[in-house]
Amino acid sequence: MRRITLTVNGHPEMADVPDGMTLLEFLRDRLVLTGAKEGCGIGECGACTVLVNGRAIASCLMLAVEADGCEVQTVEGETEDGKLSVLQQAFIDAGAVQCGFCTPGMIMSARGLLLQTLDPTDEEIVEAVAGNLCRCTGYEAIIAAIRSAADTLREGSGS
Amino acid sequence: MLGSFEYRDPRTIAEACRLLAGEDSACLLAGGTDLFIELRAGWQNPELLIDIKGIDALGELRTEEDGTLSIGAAVPLDAIARSPVASGPWVALREAALSIGTQQLRHRATLAGNLCNGSPAADTAPVLLTLGAYVMAASLETSRQIDLANFFTGVKRTALRNDEMICEVRIPPQPPGLRTAFLKQQRVRGHDLAVVNVAGALDPSSGDLRVAIGSCSPTPILLPSINAAGVSPTALSALAIESALDHVSPIDDVRASAGYRKAVLETLIDRLIARLVSPEGGA
Repeated sequence: MRRITLTVNGHPEMADVPDGMTLLEFLRDRLVLTGAKEGCGIGECGACTVLVNGRAIASCLMLAVEADGCEVQTVEGETEDGKLSVLQQAFIDAGAVQCGFCTPGMIMSARGLLLQTLDPTDEEIVEAVAGNLCRCTGYEAIIAAIRSAADTLREGSGS
Repeated sequence: MLGSFEYRDPRTIAEACRLLAGEDSACLLAGGTDLFIELRAGWQNPELLIDIKGIDALGELRTEEDGTLSIGAAVPLDAIARSPVASGPWVALREAALSIGTQQLRHRATLAGNLCNGSPAADTAPVLLTLGAYVMAASLETSRQIDLANFFTGVKRTALRNDEMICEVRIPPQPPGLRTAFLKQQRVRGHDLAVVNVAGALDPSSGDLRVAIGSCSPTPILLPSINAAGVSPTALSALAIESALDHVSPIDDVRASAGYRKAVLETLIDRLIARLVSPEGGA
């Protein structure tokens, strides 16, 4: 057991966690942030993607204790005062969501990309979501949604 | 839960080595992208996990005065894939790093971890072999250099002792104008292990050509140097392919048959040579 302090979606958190607990388990079971999903548990599907210090990682392949002192962002942090982010709205508008299981991870991978650039190339968008498997919508609508969100954000409206 | 181990995150190499020496079942943790899969599957059951990412010196990626490139054991592959330098050894290094996994994995996975995992398919290994790279390994008592050519001893086996850790991967100074390239055949575009991977380094002034191959033998292998001076690209490709087929021993497995691997190997080496001898130099 080890005490960790970290920031999750802007909120400071302190907890005693078992050394072997994954960051995904901590987020879902302790903080009840169930947006990040366990799909494969071995870093292949991307459903557990969250940002740690602004970088997309597979939270099933990271220990909670490793996140000590880090800033973690999950899909729950996308909304502000109950209002969807530009990125979330773009996914809805583009029809980029079907069953929705992959969507929280998709959005966090996209957010990680948009933190680096608001003018990504199509190749950069594809690379950013290459680690997020979607088995129903297909990727065209998802790529269009990210492109649209980048365009909106570049023009300076919303977050 | 990935296990009932104790997690420690030492701040110095000496402390990490002390912990490593004190517990037989201890595992070193860098990116965890291979280790955690093994823990989850129960293939390893360590009592102690030693996270090396808190050791500042291991997070450094630097070029030394003599031109040696030093990549700390905790440097993530993403930092290599995004190197602002895109010439010489970096061409192949970047390509190999970028070909591994996905961004989620590259943000965590490390170059040293890719080597320590001991996979015959390790994508960075052929590149580092062609560059004459070596690792600096530390233990409580000793520090030693292990040439990468002697590092891989079998499938999932390396020359590292249980009480040793890699501190850095070092690439000696390379000839100016060196052309490098890395090519990988996978079943799907995206994150997959290599069916075959190849790396090449050509020094245009001396004609020295080095080719290394992964996924076709129990370990990644470096072919004997080939003198490319005055040899036509077609003849050079034939020479490299002949040498490659002499040295590999591919197997049938879930990703490909041995025969298919040999066929792909020929094609990849042909493309590799074409890139190395072209005026763009594989850039």
